[in-house]
Amino acid sequence: MAGLLEISHLCKSFDTIKVIDDFSLEVTEGTLCCLVGPNGAGKTTTMDLITGRIKPTSGKITFAGEDITGADEHAIARAGIGRKFQVPAVLRDLTVRENLSVAYSRQTNPFWNLCRFKVPGLEQKIDEISTLADLTHRLGEKAGILSHGETQWLEISMVLMQEPRLMLMDEPIAGMTEGEIEKTARIFKDLRKSTTLIVVEHDMGFVREIADVVTVMHMGTLLAQGSLQEIEADPRVRSVYLGEQEAA
Amino acid sequence: MNAKTSAKSVGTNSKTTMGNPYHNKTAQWIAYTLFFLALAAIPFNVDDDFLLNQLATYGVYGMLALSISLCWGFGGILNLGQGIAFGLGAYGMAMTMQMQTQTAENPVPPIMLNNGLDYLPFLWWPFQNTVSGLIFAVGIPTLFCAVFGRIMFKARVSGAFFAIMTLAMLSAFYTIILDQQAYTGGVNGITPPSPLQLGSFQIDPYSPAAYWTVFFALLIATVIAKLITQSSFGLVTQAIRDDAERVRFLGYSVSSYETTIYTISGLIAAVAGCLWVMVVQYVSPAQLDVGLSISMVIWAAIGGRMSLLWAIIGAFLIQGGQSYLGDAFLSTWLLILGGFFIIVVRFLPNGLASLVEAGLGMLARKPKETSFREPSGVKPVPSE
Repeated sequence: MAGLLEISHLCKSFDTIKVIDDFSLEVTEGTLCCLVGPNGAGKTTTMDLITGRIKPTSGKITFAGEDITGADEHAIARAGIGRKFQVPAVLRDLTVRENLSVAYSRQTNPFWNLCRFKVPGLEQKIDEISTLADLTHRLGEKAGILSHGETQWLEISMVLMQEPRLMLMDEPIAGMTEGEIEKTARIFKDLRKSTTLIVVEHDMGFVREIADVVTVMHMGTLLAQGSLQEIEADPRVRSVYLGEQEAA
Repeated sequence: MNAKTSAKSVGTNSKTTMGNPYHNKTAQWIAYTLFFLALAAIPFNVDDDFLLNQLATYGVYGMLALSISLCWGFGGILNLGQGIAFGLGAYGMAMTMQMQTQTAENPVPPIMLNNGLDYLPFLWWPFQNTVSGLIFAVGIPTLFCAVFGRIMFKARVSGAFFAIMTLAMLSAFYTIILDQQAYTGGVNGITPPSPLQLGSFQIDPYSPAAYWTVFFALLIATVIAKLITQSSFGLVTQAIRDDAERVRFLGYSVSSYETTIYTISGLIAAVAGCLWVMVVQYVSPAQLDVGLSISMVIWAAIGGRMSLLWAIIGAFLIQGGQSYLGDAFLSTWLLILGGFFIIVVRFLPNGLASLVEAGLGMLARKPKETSFREPSGVKPVPSE
């Protein structure tokens, strides 16, 4: 069975520096893939390439059988890829409710939206997601005053509001407390039943908890891929990544 | 003293449930209704034709401030070249009114004859007919905004860079109009000899009819603009103002939204340009002067760019102040205005509207206090 997302021979250079070098990856629908690797391995760059924020030098990205290489950000988002950024990016001057409403982007045509004042199903969806994210009591507040953990949750909620087929989560648990991390792990495992996720994460405990497949990147290339046990047993991985972790 | 502090704490607790009426949609519509009722009462209380004419020009300025508030306050697009849409609309109207006075025996306006042009140039053809003239007067500036906006926003020109591009474009239009004397009347502009004729009806600038035309145009523009800000489109534009980059990843084409709001804003300014010539029966390159376009931004900034209503009030206050206090203080007026602007920008970044917002926020907590103090209150009184 072909993967939902297929990346083949992806390259990206900035001037003469190869940031992503012949990177290939296949993500099967309904799995949770963790992307790990030391700093500067190219994890966030890969996310940028998938979502169209930067254009690849060469290579191909297909999503659900459709070529999305070099497409515009909004077109890729509409195709069904939602993204949470490494530094939580929420709309700080808008309320939590407004953030969630904007993220519920069924209708993206500006002219249609000029005549739309009530969005069907929106209230129900906001209820559902805000309950899940424990933000119900914050709906009327400006997003800019939320705590770091709440901001993380708001952005995750925004991705959930989009109902994408593929969710890219860049360091979703950074700055969260133990309890929040456990909850995130629980929710991600639940999400896997209905969607596909790629999670970039440094916290190996969290990766162990949630990952179906672990992909290790190093210097812009794919170093190893497999279950966590396989990865941990891989001597190359131990030397570049896990080795450093154990030493630390 | 003790009772006072406890009441205060109750007030703060209830802040989230009570809400500030400034942010209440129904309260906003009521405020807009009262404002327009007050404007509608003016012609019944003013006998002075000159004053009524002057108030009509303020209505035009209000419309310009409204267009800036929509584009800048809600869309986050700082536009220092709104004079393009305003000026082109004004020239279109002046050309239409000029052609209304030309006859079959005398089809060429004097500005051309005086500049050695003995035929009607192609540029003026659409304005020979009043209906097509009005369509072109509004349509050309709107089309310009759509094309210019599309090119700029597609290339992701934003913020100060977009403001500079609009400024450069405005200067270019100003220079062309000033330079092409045979077609535009040059520095003297166009002074149509008689008022606008619509069918058999003539709109005398010094009559209530002119005031009512401006009033209804401002009313319709305000209602449409207000509805736009409350629509899903309005929410997305405010999200773009906040973080355009983020909104792209939610599936919205940011450039389409920016182009649309910039074009709607230009359309309102073009209509304002038409009305301006209807009211003053005159147009010159001064309408495309950089100073005027910057004034429009200042009106919206002082009134409050995040509020359509306060942007309009800002225009009224500053232009009113200029007309009346300007006479009394002469050139000192500009210093007063400049000082006022600095104070507002420094202490009230959202303009005078933020004073009202803060005031209503305080009032919203007060009634709660009294209801708790009332002995007959149904709600349980917290024990002290």
